[in-house]
Amino acid sequence: MAKAKVTFSDVNVTVNVPVGTRIIEISEAVGSYIAYNCREGDCGVCLFEVIKGKENMSAISKEEKAVLLARYQEIMDGWRATTDIDALQAKMQRENFIGKNCRLACQTQVFGDVVVAPL
Amino acid sequence: MTKSPVWLSERVQWIGALDPTMRSFDIILKTPNGTTYNAYAVRGSEGVAVIDTVKAECADQFFEHLEAIACYDEIKVIVLNHLEPDHTGALPELMRRAPQAKLYISQSAQLMIKALLNQQDIDFISVGTGDTISLGDRTLKFLHTPYLHWPDTQCTYLEEECILFSGDVFGCHFCDERLFNDKVGDFRFAFEYYYAHIMRPFREHVINALELISPLPINIIAPTHGPILRDKPTSYIQRYRELSGQRLQSEVNADEKTLLIFYISAYGSTTQMAQMIRDGAEQVPGVRASLYDMEGGDSDLFVDLVEDADGILIGSPTINGDAVKPAWDLVSSFAKINVKGKLAGAFGSFGWSGEAVRMLEDRMRGLKMRLPLEGVRIKLIPSSDELEQCRRYGQEAGEHLMGVNAPRVLDMADLLASRKQISN
Repeated sequence: MAKAKVTFSDVNVTVNVPVGTRIIEISEAVGSYIAYNCREGDCGVCLFEVIKGKENMSAISKEEKAVLLARYQEIMDGWRATTDIDALQAKMQRENFIGKNCRLACQTQVFGDVVVAPL
Repeated sequence: MTKSPVWLSERVQWIGALDPTMRSFDIILKTPNGTTYNAYAVRGSEGVAVIDTVKAECADQFFEHLEAIACYDEIKVIVLNHLEPDHTGALPELMRRAPQAKLYISQSAQLMIKALLNQQDIDFISVGTGDTISLGDRTLKFLHTPYLHWPDTQCTYLEEECILFSGDVFGCHFCDERLFNDKVGDFRFAFEYYYAHIMRPFREHVINALELISPLPINIIAPTHGPILRDKPTSYIQRYRELSGQRLQSEVNADEKTLLIFYISAYGSTTQMAQMIRDGAEQVPGVRASLYDMEGGDSDLFVDLVEDADGILIGSPTINGDAVKPAWDLVSSFAKINVKGKLAGAFGSFGWSGEAVRMLEDRMRGLKMRLPLEGVRIKLIPSSDELEQCRRYGQEAGEHLMGVNAPRVLDMADLLASRKQISN
């Protein structure tokens, strides 16, 4: 079976995993501080930062994108009026937030070597 | 009981409700003096603003007060500083009686208002710091002060009169019909108790809010519970500044990290483990490790230490398949502070099953603490090899705390198999 390496930089642990593994399947076992709530892509708590290898991760779905957007709003400066969504999305893309540096650990699968960290 | 509105100024009235017989609030708070739900009306040359409402059960008092000072068709604005039901219980009826009034809520309250009223098509305006609304010769200005003590909370400032409608901030559960802080009985304990249980978990947000509030000239602070603070209002801001500062004077240097090891032991095995773990942690430069026997302490005192600590380890034996009560009491007290992201771990000796350690770990993981290590579980009396295992665990915890732990490479199958073995 093809293998990939997932490195959790906060605990300095690298795990050899079968390709297709989701981050959620291993992050708690290695003790990485990626926190979870709903575990199914709704709440956005398991946001993590991709340090290396974003091209080795599963594509971002429309739903994950929406949750990232919501989390981004909350983290940056509280919720904005929903009419601001386009401007906000542009800002997120400018600042490498969506689909680039940040993902949800319960959704993201790995297909090659990656380095990740809690946000 | 006050049966008429109370004047804060020529244009501002208290139109809230008294609840003198309430004895426990939100399940978690004792209220020996009952409470008040403070709502206010502000009259401008172009209309009336109602700021917050009251609990549904007290709506009659609220409407009676409101009707005494305004007609429903004069109400132009309804401001909600906080959506919790004790302040929004009368809202649906108020909206029905004053359908022309515009609803102003904080940006973070938008999803909540829909869930609160169970209605998707609510007409509201969301506001943030610096936004204002004009009532003609009176102006309301908003301050975004989230997480005090819900995500949606905000404060509203009446510019011309320097009155801060602060929501639950600076509030307390203390019912006294004389209403003003210079008239009511001694409510200092209620003010401190309210801060400790409602605001303290959100300490960083309190500090941020004080930064917004402090520059404002203030004549009166008008919170949603308890006395209206018109005598020396800024002294309460100062008290919040003190309460949100460090509880204990820092005893460590900036390049050091603190690790608190709490333990309790029936026959001394968990005590021996705790001591070895401390010795191991102390081997890591920069770690200041401390030991506390939970049998001789009290979680109310320990929680001040935990608030400032970088890492917390808890040692408990397993009795009847569970961790012991002092250990759970300590972990329960973490809800009063913010422990998110602190390093945590558990350890303990056991007779035959040893569930305590994993249960404590799961609970602390649930509190979003950081658990990089599997805790040590030892059957009965620790052997010298097992004590060495404890020392190593302490050392690794210290290394994680200082961020100097050695890299490890694992196979996923081994990783998950070892986890499964431990939990069995």
